[in-house]
Amino acid sequence: MWSKTITGNFAGMIHGLNASQLTDQVLRRSKRMILDTLGVGLLGSSTEVCHKVIHYSKIYSTNTSSTVWGHSDVRLPPLYAAFANGVAVHSMDFDDTWHPATHPSGTVLPSLVALSDTLSEKKKISGLDLLLAFNVGIEVQGRLLRFSSEAHNIPKRFHPPSVVGTMGSAAAVAKLLAFDQFKCKEALAIAASYAGAPMANAATQTKPLHIGNAARHGLEAACLASLGLQGNNQILDMESGLGAFYGDYTPQVLPPLQSYSWLLDQQDVAIKRFPAHLGTHWVADAASSVRKHLVGSDDPLPVSKIKKITLKVPEAQYVNRSFPNSEHEARHSFQFAACTALLDGSISVQSFNRQNIFRPELKELLCKTQMEHPSDNKPSFESLYCEVSITLQDGDMFSERCDTFYGHWRKPLSKEDLEKKFRSNASSVLSLEATEGIIETVNHLEEVEDCMVLSEFLKGTQSTQELPQTISLS
Amino acid sequence: MEIETPLEKEKFCRQMRKALITLARSPRTEETVTSSFASFIHGVRPEHLSAIVRHRSKRMILDSIGVGLVGSTTRVFNIALQYCQELYSSNPISSVYGRKGLKLSPTLAAFANGVAAHSMDFDDTWHPATHPSGAVLPALLSASQMLPSVSKPNGLDFLVAFNVGIEVQGRLMHFSNEAHNIPKRFHPPSVVGTMGSAAATAKLLSLNESQCAHALAIAASLAGAPMANAATQVKPLHIGNAACLGFQAALLAARGMEASPFILDDIPGCAGFNAFYGDYQPKPLALPANNHKLLLEKQDIAFKRFPAHLGMHWIVDAALSVRNLFVNYSHSFSPSLIHAIVLRIPVSKYINRPFPESEHQARHSFQFNACTALLDGEVGISSYTDSSIHRRELMELLAKVVVEHPEDNVANFDKMYGEVALILENGDVLTGRCDTFYGHWRKPLSRESLLKKFRTNASYVFPENQVNTIITTVENMENLPDSSQLASSL
Repeated sequence: MWSKTITGNFAGMIHGLNASQLTDQVLRRSKRMILDTLGVGLLGSSTEVCHKVIHYSKIYSTNTSSTVWGHSDVRLPPLYAAFANGVAVHSMDFDDTWHPATHPSGTVLPSLVALSDTLSEKKKISGLDLLLAFNVGIEVQGRLLRFSSEAHNIPKRFHPPSVVGTMGSAAAVAKLLAFDQFKCKEALAIAASYAGAPMANAATQTKPLHIGNAARHGLEAACLASLGLQGNNQILDMESGLGAFYGDYTPQVLPPLQSYSWLLDQQDVAIKRFPAHLGTHWVADAASSVRKHLVGSDDPLPVSKIKKITLKVPEAQYVNRSFPNSEHEARHSFQFAACTALLDGSISVQSFNRQNIFRPELKELLCKTQMEHPSDNKPSFESLYCEVSITLQDGDMFSERCDTFYGHWRKPLSKEDLEKKFRSNASSVLSLEATEGIIETVNHLEEVEDCMVLSEFLKGTQSTQELPQTISLS
Repeated sequence: MEIETPLEKEKFCRQMRKALITLARSPRTEETVTSSFASFIHGVRPEHLSAIVRHRSKRMILDSIGVGLVGSTTRVFNIALQYCQELYSSNPISSVYGRKGLKLSPTLAAFANGVAAHSMDFDDTWHPATHPSGAVLPALLSASQMLPSVSKPNGLDFLVAFNVGIEVQGRLMHFSNEAHNIPKRFHPPSVVGTMGSAAATAKLLSLNESQCAHALAIAASLAGAPMANAATQVKPLHIGNAACLGFQAALLAARGMEASPFILDDIPGCAGFNAFYGDYQPKPLALPANNHKLLLEKQDIAFKRFPAHLGMHWIVDAALSVRNLFVNYSHSFSPSLIHAIVLRIPVSKYINRPFPESEHQARHSFQFNACTALLDGEVGISSYTDSSIHRRELMELLAKVVVEHPEDNVANFDKMYGEVALILENGDVLTGRCDTFYGHWRKPLSRESLLKKFRTNASYVFPENQVNTIITTVENMENLPDSSQLASSL
């Protein structure tokens, strides 16, 4: 249905898209995203930030309830389940990243899963329903990000998931609940009043809350819309609407529904191989490569032989930290990533343990690290590169460059490696059966009749193995 | 800084590390704006409240309760309440305005009551522009009921916490020149109100200094709603959310959640609180001990006489004065004698609406309020009902309105004026002007007028004796042994 306003246009899209329009590529990519997101959420459910949030959310216990991933003993109202699970997903900065920059899945999947949990008694939600709603939530985010050229670069003012993620969550829920066009519009309008968190809280313990809040506030906005609350039905059109979050804002209409082309079709996501800011993945790959010039993969790095380490990276203030003081800072530090990869050959979940963050060999390397910001190195996940150069005491110099790390959308993870990441994450809190169960379910999501099965696995109701605690809670 | 040799570099590293550790371990010597706010919130005591501040803040509390009570009869409030009840039924310990016997969990009660406070745009307004009390009071009322009976804050503690919430809002707004004018991008209560609520509840809950700082930072990640939703049904949620989310931030901080220690400082390349402003120049707060004067002492609040945007109050007073002239001139109010109505108002898109269609739009329309005042000789709660909004006589008058934006009429609540000129069919022109309406901080409501407003509002839900009890309680707030009594009486 044609609409005079962009807001109406979006509402029409949310309302009108149906499963038959999901292409194979979109289906495949979105299932990969769902699997990865569940995995990082399960892993993240055991972090300190998540514990605090669950503790806090218990104020709100009630009869209507949803699963908290990886916690069979806790039920929370859907809003707080979405909040807690969203926090879990972003707790270690291990979740997917898109271009233009945001973390799309973590703001959408938790609200959908939480809602499907509660609806199951009254109305069955099929895997296809979930997939469609999920993709609507992703699509809305991508479209909104394209309304501002600011959005193409690593952000400086507002953390993108807190802006577009909230809108995506509202849209996804509106789709799942089959809102009419008017309610879709209102859900978007109300959601805008919840959007927006400043970048300064990135690299702190509060950053994961940006995703948790986006998920729950989008869900809340949709709930309020369903109760008849009304906002500004030109919220996406106005500079004083969603435009408030951007310096430049030029909204555009969406393509017509009949031959809808999904952004996820044209632009895949990046999946992380270790839990840190995406920028560090280029650094890690370059550092691992240059390390090979110095030693064999199993041998220790001769730290004292190194005189200077130079990183050529784009300018990005909040990932530029010479001496990170916490796990959150370590995940947002080019320098830390380079030195860890040089020391150990690669970066893993364990690299961000307290012991590893403060090891003396690492500090020694950090002291020798300098940064350069070549003018051709733009702070955009589409075009940035990293060069790591090592100068030895004897004057020898080695350099390696990474343009595209493994996991980036130009070089996506293989199915095996994606599942390997999921298994490694999920097995920290779930049994083998549940882990495999989720892989199986998501791989065939479009054929699943009732999504409840997903929540059942996520709970961990099957007996959980006692695993050694490899993630230290600092 | 040139660091050439490894030795120099090592030395530099050691010095850096030492400095960082020193910084982290001695908050008292820190110069950051953020930490000065945390110190203030943590350190301020009842003795720092001057008599003027006490007096003014009690007036604000009373007015805020009143508008909340009448607001509890609105549709938007009912939606918010229904939502809270459907989703949460446990931990019901906090009272909801005008709903005896109903309790909600504390942050949700704050949400609902905050929505009530702003539901009719009847709540107080400050300069620089925001609605300070509605974002703070509901959170404090709920929080006061949350604490165990052995450590209930008394009335004085409550007043201190309230003033902390107001003061933080005022100080933050002074960091930006943008904030001095009627807002265009973010609705101020959603920005500073959230911070104020976090500060106030942190104070009431006696968080330590570090927790106070984190509460502010967590709140910043929950702040900020765009102006486009003003003049819609969602606008009241901005205050509801400010109260609720600021409260949540404090609760999270109490449970150890940590956030950026530089949230209020200006760190180039990575926005903190300044994300919400185009220009931002933060300054540290003086500690209370060093003669810190609360802003409320220097700058009073405006209370509204009818439930509409503050700007409407100038135009209504101007319209009433020209109406008097007109009635004296032609011995009755005869709209047919009027050719055109000229409104001289500042430029502000969201309050310039020729033909408002909903009550929310009507409360944000210079044209509507001027014409209502001309037609009826007064403006009140009932002026915004559906039938009033769509009256034929009103529509006819609205059609005669022309708007002008004189250059000297700045969109600023301290400087603006309103002028209404009636151009009659016979060519005569009558003009009424208002520079300072009754209720503005330059011409504050008398005690009688304020109580009259409160009584009118509160009697929508309470019998007379209960109304009087609340008045007495608030006026003697400092002597109240248990401040949760106030909340339970609502």
